[in-house]
Amino acid sequence: MSEIGIVSFLPAPQRGAPPALDRPAVSVVVPVAERPDALAELYEEYAAPLRRSGRSFEFIFVAPPYFAAILRPLDTLMERGEPIRVIQTGRAVGETALLRTALLQCRAPLVLTLPAYRQVTADAIDKLLEGVERGADLVVACRWPRHDAWINRLQSRALRLAIDPLTQGRIHDAACGVRAIRREVLQEIPLYGDFSRFLPLLALHNGFSVTEVPCRQHTRDMRGRVYGPGVYLRRLIDLLGLFFLLRFTEKPLRFFGLVGSTFALSGSLLLLWLLFQRIGGQGIGGRPLLILSVLLFILGIQSIALGLIGEMIVHFNAARGRSYRIKRVASPG
Amino acid sequence: MVVPLFNEEESVALLVNSVRDALGTDVAWELVLVDDGSRDGTARIATALGVVDPRVRLVSLARNYGQTQAMQAGFDAASGEVVVSMDGDLQNDPLDIPRLVAMLEQGYDLVAGYRVRRKDRFFTRKVPSWVANRLIAWLTGVSIRDNGCSLKAYRRELIDQLHLYSDMHRFLPAVAAATAAARITEIPVRHHPRRFGKSKYGLSRIAKILADLLTIKMISSFRERPLSLFGRGAAGAVAAGIVVLIAWLDSIATYDVQHARAYVLPTVALLWITLACYLLMLGLIAEVALQKSREEERDGLRPWPGDAG
Repeated sequence: MSEIGIVSFLPAPQRGAPPALDRPAVSVVVPVAERPDALAELYEEYAAPLRRSGRSFEFIFVAPPYFAAILRPLDTLMERGEPIRVIQTGRAVGETALLRTALLQCRAPLVLTLPAYRQVTADAIDKLLEGVERGADLVVACRWPRHDAWINRLQSRALRLAIDPLTQGRIHDAACGVRAIRREVLQEIPLYGDFSRFLPLLALHNGFSVTEVPCRQHTRDMRGRVYGPGVYLRRLIDLLGLFFLLRFTEKPLRFFGLVGSTFALSGSLLLLWLLFQRIGGQGIGGRPLLILSVLLFILGIQSIALGLIGEMIVHFNAARGRSYRIKRVASPG
Repeated sequence: MVVPLFNEEESVALLVNSVRDALGTDVAWELVLVDDGSRDGTARIATALGVVDPRVRLVSLARNYGQTQAMQAGFDAASGEVVVSMDGDLQNDPLDIPRLVAMLEQGYDLVAGYRVRRKDRFFTRKVPSWVANRLIAWLTGVSIRDNGCSLKAYRRELIDQLHLYSDMHRFLPAVAAATAAARITEIPVRHHPRRFGKSKYGLSRIAKILADLLTIKMISSFRERPLSLFGRGAAGAVAAGIVVLIAWLDSIATYDVQHARAYVLPTVALLWITLACYLLMLGLIAEVALQKSREEERDGLRPWPGDAG
């Protein structure tokens, strides 16, 4: 007996209040991706300042199937009529994909992203929302003053070192997941890979105004956290990808050419030296240095060739999109 | 008229005035000022000028993207049948514009100005620019004396086919010739010394320009057939491999086979042959990757006048 396979492209199953006609003022998006706290308490804590400020709001929790049990306490809240929606993705996906799924469901013009663990105290929310209402496109929380375990201080120092050249020092706490964003901004920033962590950087790169607001750090956040080596490796690769994305997407040869010509140049210098010795009567056929210099030269040529391929692809894709974003057009009529 | 601006608050008003004087009222014109994320009062002043004279329009970019992107933004916003680009620093003279346009009417797609008696620093500006122009002419076969002069006039049809990115404005004539088969000529134009502010160029760009030159060569010569470039590289690598192989055969015929060269030389030969295979495969990938884009480009060709319908 064989079963009939049915492939369906239904939206991810949802529980909670059906989308109402009246749009809330703020959509709070909580991707449940790593080390989640108890979500019901988290909701109560962060919903309180929103309720007090009189803004209408909705909470959207997104989680992969792995965290189904953690979402359960939210059901009782929903039954009480709290503005919560819960989305479960069909399969295990990363934080960026969770965020993207949730953003499709946002109805408010203003989106607040909140990690499923506590990073800042709840009074930060007001400050962030005010920042956006005052005209910023994206406001990111900056945990200050910072009380971290030494291992985490070391981590954030390393991160700062890596991304400061990309932000010109305008963002001090890029790893903070608490951000308020205008919805239009999100529509213009392509979110893929693992880049959601660096949303403020992507917004800056697209010419949006990004500000940061100092917020009190939550006591829960001050505990030391150490991750497995795999996590660090992935972050390193993300950073490399981000660096390339922001600096060289339009000019890959500048990167590959620099790397490649360094290799090719050192290889050819070594080869020249060997040639010089050969002319001087020394045999070079048995020298391991010959292998090294040829290898270096070949590595260089390969990088440059790859860069050229990249340039060709960029060239042929140039017709498809604009490489600039217009802020404003002032013209009669 | 398209003018990219970056932090040129002193120059804007003078620029608009001189353009107004030069073009007068004989031809219908518009002036598109592109503010490339200036941090001074450029945008404010330009907006005010637009209120006074409705022919002046301002496009503000979201951040400082660079001159190429600013120019492309201006091209996209400009609506004229003839488009003229010039610098916002008053070093070009709008009085030359009618002459550029007159040349276009003789059947050219792009008329570039070249600056006679250029009023710039000799060693940091003129010498590098002379070398760069010679290199561009030699590599692409498009010999324009002064690629760096922004004062150029283009036909609408050419602008529609150009898609500038990265730092392509420097090589615009070469790109236009390679991608749109543009007919190009050049005429001398006046050049004034800088009156306000500092030049926004520096010498640090040489490595970047070299990489860009390589790109331009690639685009202008091997756009249609990347495999031929990579194939040539592969042939060179095979030749090097064969030379080393012969040296090896020679050495095992004359020396003891236990000598180190009996192992080193074949390794080196194999390395060269690996490079050849790699380059060939890259060339094939390039052909495949570009096939789709070429089809799109072909579909985008407009029918000849009269063919349509």
